[in-house]
Amino acid sequence: MAFPGSGLAKGLAVTLRTMTRRSVTAQYPDVKPELPPRSRGVIALMEENCTVCMLCARECPDWCIYIDSHKETIPAPPGGRERARNVLDRFAIDFSLCMYCGICIEVCPFDALFWTPEFEYAELDIRDMTHEKGRLGEWMATVPAPPADDPHGARAKEVDAARKSADRAEATDAASPDAAKPDAAPSGGDEPAVDT
Amino acid sequence: MTVDLPHPTVGPLQRMAPEPMRLILNWGRRYSLWVFNFGLACCAIEFIASSMSRHDFIRLGVIPFAPGPRQADLMVVSGTVTDKMAPAVKRLYEQMPEPKYVISFGACSNSGGPYWDSYCVTKGVDQIVPVDVYVPGCPPRPEALLQGILRLQQKIAAESLADRYTPHAPVGPIETVPVLSTPTDLLRPDGR
Repeated sequence: MAFPGSGLAKGLAVTLRTMTRRSVTAQYPDVKPELPPRSRGVIALMEENCTVCMLCARECPDWCIYIDSHKETIPAPPGGRERARNVLDRFAIDFSLCMYCGICIEVCPFDALFWTPEFEYAELDIRDMTHEKGRLGEWMATVPAPPADDPHGARAKEVDAARKSADRAEATDAASPDAAKPDAAPSGGDEPAVDT
Repeated sequence: MTVDLPHPTVGPLQRMAPEPMRLILNWGRRYSLWVFNFGLACCAIEFIASSMSRHDFIRLGVIPFAPGPRQADLMVVSGTVTDKMAPAVKRLYEQMPEPKYVISFGACSNSGGPYWDSYCVTKGVDQIVPVDVYVPGCPPRPEALLQGILRLQQKIAAESLADRYTPHAPVGPIETVPVLSTPTDLLRPDGR
């Protein structure tokens, strides 16, 4: 601030600098936003995978999942006994209560629930915020593909185990190509003992 | 102490107005929403984010930083409404001029959210003031608020104010709420 007007020049320099840059404003309704991976918009339900184990409803911190079901008996096949099966009647998530913690998705043992980045479901009526299973099923179409594995990360244990057993099976096949089938059964029984 | 005021109207012009006139009135109303932010918790941060240059809801005709509720058309309740705060929310809503709109932003103001079981949290701001649009999320993205605003603008475009303010229309709050309904109920005689 040595000479008068230096503050003005400084201000105009800022104006000039920003004038040459592009605006940062996202044109939302016209341009869809690029959401980060794994963004939490809404929860989708794959109804076929749900076994009505109620884990999600019990783990939900808000208790915002409503599940109704009944038991159905499958008639006995010849030589068997009849079995009971749970049938899902109602699966609803109240998105006016949901805190988007994702615990239901984490605990689901059969991968029936998925995150979806969709966020455009503002409603005029609070009752429409409870999405029944039909609407939750419609969100399934918007579920993104799972992110690729980290190239520097450790491989999944399941992949290693599967490869190990496949290699071993190949080795035993190569060692005794003319081995009879009964031979293969004891060797298969030995494998878990070797692993442990 | 209650004062009997006449039911709010927007004058005979709106009621008598023919369809094209109403279209113009609604058009003007929906693209100049002076917004009044009732920021009560973390959702207010998302509201501020959508008012800043990145999302910039002035593009949609929503003008932030109204000098006060008396100059605002739209109230955005963003955050947890506690029973202690509820009379203030209601009072400021009542100070807004007609026609007025309310957006409930986030799980807490929609229905109490994670705190629905709390002894001191209002189970949704719609228990004290009528809400026009509910925006889901915890907190919702700034884009979700923009979509809620678009939804509200669709609603304003379709509405006729005569229907909105007919006396039998359920515009008032639900009366079966355990919260104190008037701000004077909270004040003790000594003013605390």
